[in-house]
Amino acid sequence: MPATEFQGSFGRSLLTLRRDQTDSNHHHHQPQNTMEAELDSFQRQVAEKFIDLNASAGDNNLLSLDWISKLLDSFLCCQEEFRAIIFNHRSQISAPPMDRILSDYFERSIKALDVCNAIRDGIEQIRQWQKLSDIVISALDSHRPVGEGQLRRAKKALIDLAIGMLDEKDHSSTTSLAHRNRSFGRAKDNHSHHRSFGHFRSLSWSVSRSWSASKQLQALANNLNTPKPNDVAASNGLAVPVYTMTSVLLFVMWVLVAAIPCQDRGLQVNFSVPRHYQWAVPVMSLHDKIVEESKRRDRKNCCGLLKEIDRIEKSSKVMNELVDSIQFPLSEEKESEVKQRVVELVEVHEGLKKGLDPFERKVREVFHRIVRSRTESLDSLC
Amino acid sequence: MEKPENHAMESETLDHHKSDDHSDESEQQLATETPKSDSSSQLSLTQEMEAVDDFIQSLSSSTDPLKEIPPSVEPFPETVDSLVSKMESSGLGRDEAEDSAFILAVNRISKSVLTLRELRLDSTPVSSWLNRASSVQNRAASLLDEEFRHLLDRSREKNKNNKNADLSSDSTQVESDRCVLQEEETFPDFPPESISTLKKIAGAMISAGYEAECCMSYEMSRRHAFKEELSEVGFEGINVEDVQRIPWESLEGEIASWISIVRRCSTVLFPGELSLCTAVFSSEDHAATRKRLFTGLVSAVTIRFLDFSGAVVLTKRSSEKLFKFLDMYETLRDLVPAVEQSDSDLIEEIKLAQTRLGEAAVTIFGELENSIKTDQGRTAVPSGAVHPLTRYTMNYLKYACEYKDTLDQVFQTEPEQETRRNQREDDEEYKVSAFGRQMIKVMEHLDANLEVKSRLYRDPALRSIFLMNNGRYILQKIKGSTEIRDLMGQAWTRKRSTELRQYHKSYQRETWGKVLQCMNQEGIQVNGKVSKPVLKERFKVFNAMFDEIHKTQSTWIVSDEQMQSELRVSIAALVIPAYRSFFGRYKQHIDSGRHSDKYVKYQPEDIETYIDDLFDGNPPSMARKRT
Repeated sequence: MPATEFQGSFGRSLLTLRRDQTDSNHHHHQPQNTMEAELDSFQRQVAEKFIDLNASAGDNNLLSLDWISKLLDSFLCCQEEFRAIIFNHRSQISAPPMDRILSDYFERSIKALDVCNAIRDGIEQIRQWQKLSDIVISALDSHRPVGEGQLRRAKKALIDLAIGMLDEKDHSSTTSLAHRNRSFGRAKDNHSHHRSFGHFRSLSWSVSRSWSASKQLQALANNLNTPKPNDVAASNGLAVPVYTMTSVLLFVMWVLVAAIPCQDRGLQVNFSVPRHYQWAVPVMSLHDKIVEESKRRDRKNCCGLLKEIDRIEKSSKVMNELVDSIQFPLSEEKESEVKQRVVELVEVHEGLKKGLDPFERKVREVFHRIVRSRTESLDSLC
Repeated sequence: MEKPENHAMESETLDHHKSDDHSDESEQQLATETPKSDSSSQLSLTQEMEAVDDFIQSLSSSTDPLKEIPPSVEPFPETVDSLVSKMESSGLGRDEAEDSAFILAVNRISKSVLTLRELRLDSTPVSSWLNRASSVQNRAASLLDEEFRHLLDRSREKNKNNKNADLSSDSTQVESDRCVLQEEETFPDFPPESISTLKKIAGAMISAGYEAECCMSYEMSRRHAFKEELSEVGFEGINVEDVQRIPWESLEGEIASWISIVRRCSTVLFPGELSLCTAVFSSEDHAATRKRLFTGLVSAVTIRFLDFSGAVVLTKRSSEKLFKFLDMYETLRDLVPAVEQSDSDLIEEIKLAQTRLGEAAVTIFGELENSIKTDQGRTAVPSGAVHPLTRYTMNYLKYACEYKDTLDQVFQTEPEQETRRNQREDDEEYKVSAFGRQMIKVMEHLDANLEVKSRLYRDPALRSIFLMNNGRYILQKIKGSTEIRDLMGQAWTRKRSTELRQYHKSYQRETWGKVLQCMNQEGIQVNGKVSKPVLKERFKVFNAMFDEIHKTQSTWIVSDEQMQSELRVSIAALVIPAYRSFFGRYKQHIDSGRHSDKYVKYQPEDIETYIDDLFDGNPPSMARKRT
């Protein structure tokens, strides 16, 4: 058969091959193998979801809260399909090679749980920034004249925000020092007035102190190989959806770590999917786009690629510069400029305010779903 | 210059006047200490504040745009500024009267700022005054924030030092003793003066529009406090992955710690936190703030607990884990009331975690059934003793009954199969709880299994003894615990007793039926005379049988002492009178012949002695010599 005939998933083509052989032997068409159709449909569904995500990943939308939420939704859908497939063929899953293959999948999915928990801490951090920008907005309320006091208030919040958004590696030492100076005795210098938010990070204890997001991703991706032809044949093709689901899981976790601040964030993961999988192209395209973005943003040492973080950073920086440049009494020109910036900040802020809670719930849902699929398999073994 | 009139004042000033002379004095003190510009007349702080009150009131009632600031009000921002400087160096929380005065001043400046900002201002002196006032307000708010955090953190540090039994010089012996005692009962341990100051500061910050800063500071400090509290008892972040790798023996220890920490939160820490929150943010207006802060704190802590329980539930199911899972279930159940004041989301999460544990418990309990079903030993327990499976199952069930209520809850959530429910509804015996039904199922499996095992014995008498041993063990275990007994129901218990009696009868029939037959009078007389050969044969047969029984059944075991004695007594009651009568009637016919002792081996008393050897589990002993 010509090479082009092998487009589509490897497992599928293997089954097609077998079917064609029997065709030629029996000279009549066998009815469509329902299992094959089921597995096929799964591959297609995953592909469709990622094509959609890729299409909506325009410049401003990629890695926005909205887009990532969509990604999580896609994960939940795929996971549900996958669960159904495993359930339908549960008679096979306790026998080799599926027992080994599935157990591997579950081990990886447990690693993903720790990622979800670490992300939760990151979301909490973003919430703190949100509160700070809230202060800025209410201080520079665009409907009222800006007084010096309000300006000072905004300034302080902006500084705290800037400190809080610094990448963990840069300032953990200095801010813990600041914290220590604050608690003991009465510090009178200006520095003490800053709410050293860096040390808010030390409050995160969802994962142990030595946990590393980048190492966890690497472990998740470790030895993730396309299924061997022997395994595919021996499992009647079931090895393929497991590989697919694992890849999707890895990708989703990778995106979360990329977007949200977390402990020892790092994106160096070997992630490549052979092109003959239907979903490979859109997934790899997204992967590449995100790597691009990370190269661009990491030059500025950002703590998370979430679009909203970028927007807050930008508008708060602009605001900070503006506030610094203000002399009292306020000229009308300056006043309107301030109001303008506030409106911009409000826009960013509103999006975050609406989206953050549902997003957190969605991450939690992912967590619960992974747990559920694990406990179901445990219970079915008994 | 306009002097403030003595007309109706705001409630604040009224309270202010009503306060004792001491505070008036200290205010005068404050006022005279503050450096004042010489241009304005030396108004006391009280008078200035009254002027401001009047000013604010006039603003709300007048419709004319404000053109200028009254001279009595003019220096107010600088007055407050000086106060701020003063308080910066002396700090709040040292002199209550001083603090109150300061707070009142700050409240006034806040109010004036907020009120003025609502107005359209096109007068430069007014705008300039507003600017100065808002600067001072900001400065004051910053100071208050700083003091707020400082007070919160310092009390936390003090608690820590007291716990470390490292008494610093400024805490007296009495105070530290009190602190140590209270450590167990109250958390957080803030002295009432601190709480009162915190409350004042919070109120002032919120009035000034700095609620966000106030809440952030509060939250930060309390979270640190919690983190320290938890670290102290050894609760650190733990990865889901790591939990999977810990061997069960070690994990049990972690679970025990978890249970004690969560319990502490339920009983001491969370209620304490709620009290603190309520005390600091005490006004009716602050209800939403209180709820938000409390929710934030307990959620942050609780979710860590749920992470751990979630990780534990992911481990492989095995029967030894049941009781720890149930302990965790109960601990979470008891946590819910402590977080009731928080968001419903959190409570849902807790219940979900509980459900997971419950489901795992159901699976594990189901494992018990399976392990009974699959226990297929081909070797019979020697001597018909109680089977290890019986012991294990009954002890497991007995232990499980201690969790009867929880297991009931857990099983109630399981969907009951319709057909079974219909069958059972009419049967009074089955009007038992959800868990009771599970227990009965297990028992039924155990019975079936024992039935199969009993057939491994070729000797039907031994079979009966085996069933008696195991049946008795089961019955005793059930009677020994009121929980199980009530759970299984009286009818069930009676049924088992009946069964035991049947086995007993079986045994007697199997073993002693033929023995009794030999002593039957029928057929001994031939043609009206006692046939010696028949008699000899009878005695011979009796001796042989009895010997055999004695030899074999002495090696059998009846573990239950009472049952052992009952058996022996019943055998004795059966055999001895019959033998005595047989012996008494027919011995003389053999006595006269030779070798009489060949045939009459046993005296009636001997029979009793030998019966007492039965079921001792002894190896076959040498035949006793007749005395």
